[in-house]
Amino acid sequence: MSPYTKLIITTSLLLGTTITLSSSHWMMAWTGLEINTLAIIPLISKSHHPRAIEAAVKYFLTQATASALILFSSLINAWTTGQWDITHLTHPTSCLLMTTAIATKLGLAPFHFWFPEVLQGSSLTTALLLSTVMKLPPISILYLTSHSLNSTLLTIMAIASAAIGGWMGLNQTQTRKILAFSSISHLGWMTIIVTYNPTLTLLSFYLYTIMTSAIFLTLNTTKATKLSTMLISWPKMPTLNATLMLTLLSLAGLPPLTGFLPKWLIIQELIKQEMAPTTTIMAMLSLLGMFFYLRLAYHSTITLPPNSTNHMKHWHLTNQVTFPIAIFTSMSIALLPISPMTLPTP
Amino acid sequence: MPSMHLSFYSTFALSSLGLAFHRTHLISALLCLESMMLSLYIALTIWPVENQSTSFTTAPILMLSFSACEAGTGLAMLVASSRTHGSDHLHNFNLLQC
Repeated sequence: MSPYTKLIITTSLLLGTTITLSSSHWMMAWTGLEINTLAIIPLISKSHHPRAIEAAVKYFLTQATASALILFSSLINAWTTGQWDITHLTHPTSCLLMTTAIATKLGLAPFHFWFPEVLQGSSLTTALLLSTVMKLPPISILYLTSHSLNSTLLTIMAIASAAIGGWMGLNQTQTRKILAFSSISHLGWMTIIVTYNPTLTLLSFYLYTIMTSAIFLTLNTTKATKLSTMLISWPKMPTLNATLMLTLLSLAGLPPLTGFLPKWLIIQELIKQEMAPTTTIMAMLSLLGMFFYLRLAYHSTITLPPNSTNHMKHWHLTNQVTFPIAIFTSMSIALLPISPMTLPTP
Repeated sequence: MPSMHLSFYSTFALSSLGLAFHRTHLISALLCLESMMLSLYIALTIWPVENQSTSFTTAPILMLSFSACEAGTGLAMLVASSRTHGSDHLHNFNLLQC
């Protein structure tokens, strides 16, 4: 892709995200979401492969519908209450439609069907952008409107997301689809706490972004798009394989790694809100994710030499820039000791 | 004017149903998307007339410009899908199934 195109796309992505993050009027929020959608379509369809074009079409249709629904629900609210402010959404129909629109934007179940296919059809770097940067504006809208969204529907969608993310990820061999389902289940964890303590949603999202970036960048270095490639990726960068296992276990939420922190705080907050059965269900459903993370870790790290693999080894050594990988990996493994910083200062 | 509200609700709802129940062609889905945007544009135009506020009269233009960009992107995806899949039939989009 020519540098001018890359510059325009990068600037548009940053611009759209910033517009939505700094907006208080629904038109501005919608504008930022539209700019983001328009900017990432060329990135998805860059390679002109049939799968990429199909992913771009599916992404475009779902995101355009969700944006129109957001604008429609804010219009209904404006007609009946005269308010265009994001934090003053009060009309019940408007709140319900907004919940479903944000769920479609994020990929919460049962509006998640586009997400694995779109991630599968795009390159690993574009999949990273789709999982992290493109989720930032809808998460910020979710945070701002958390008190006015339909909390029953949000809880149902969160539990369904954790269930679908866990169960559908079990039968996958393509790493991008596995990471899509992991994203869906993490979104379920983020959504279940948003009506009680929205700060935990943001914390969970930030830590999820760090861990997912570490994994996507690692997979991009070894170009591992399926499980069989992960078996033979150890000659390329052996240290990276070892840290990939720790990063995957962190994404699964295993203490004492960083991924345990959001789950711990969310479980604590849910128990305080007297939702113990919900908490038990969510914790059990995240065990399903544990299985496929362990399978990924097994394929990449525990099958180290000397073993007999039934695939030809690839000796394509790449000189990738590993500075971001180092930063994100060390953050995703070692950030649990700073958890006292999440306590309110006296 | 409740009758105006009813017409906007029903236009938007019918268009989104048309988008959700698309059957064969991608272009019919894009047309339904455009009619959703058109109903939103007319609603945004009528809103300052109804509420007697003059500070919102440029909002429909902003919305229309973004929906025109989106329509252009949708048509570009239509052309791209014709090049890779041979047609815009939506049941050909089955390469990425789980």
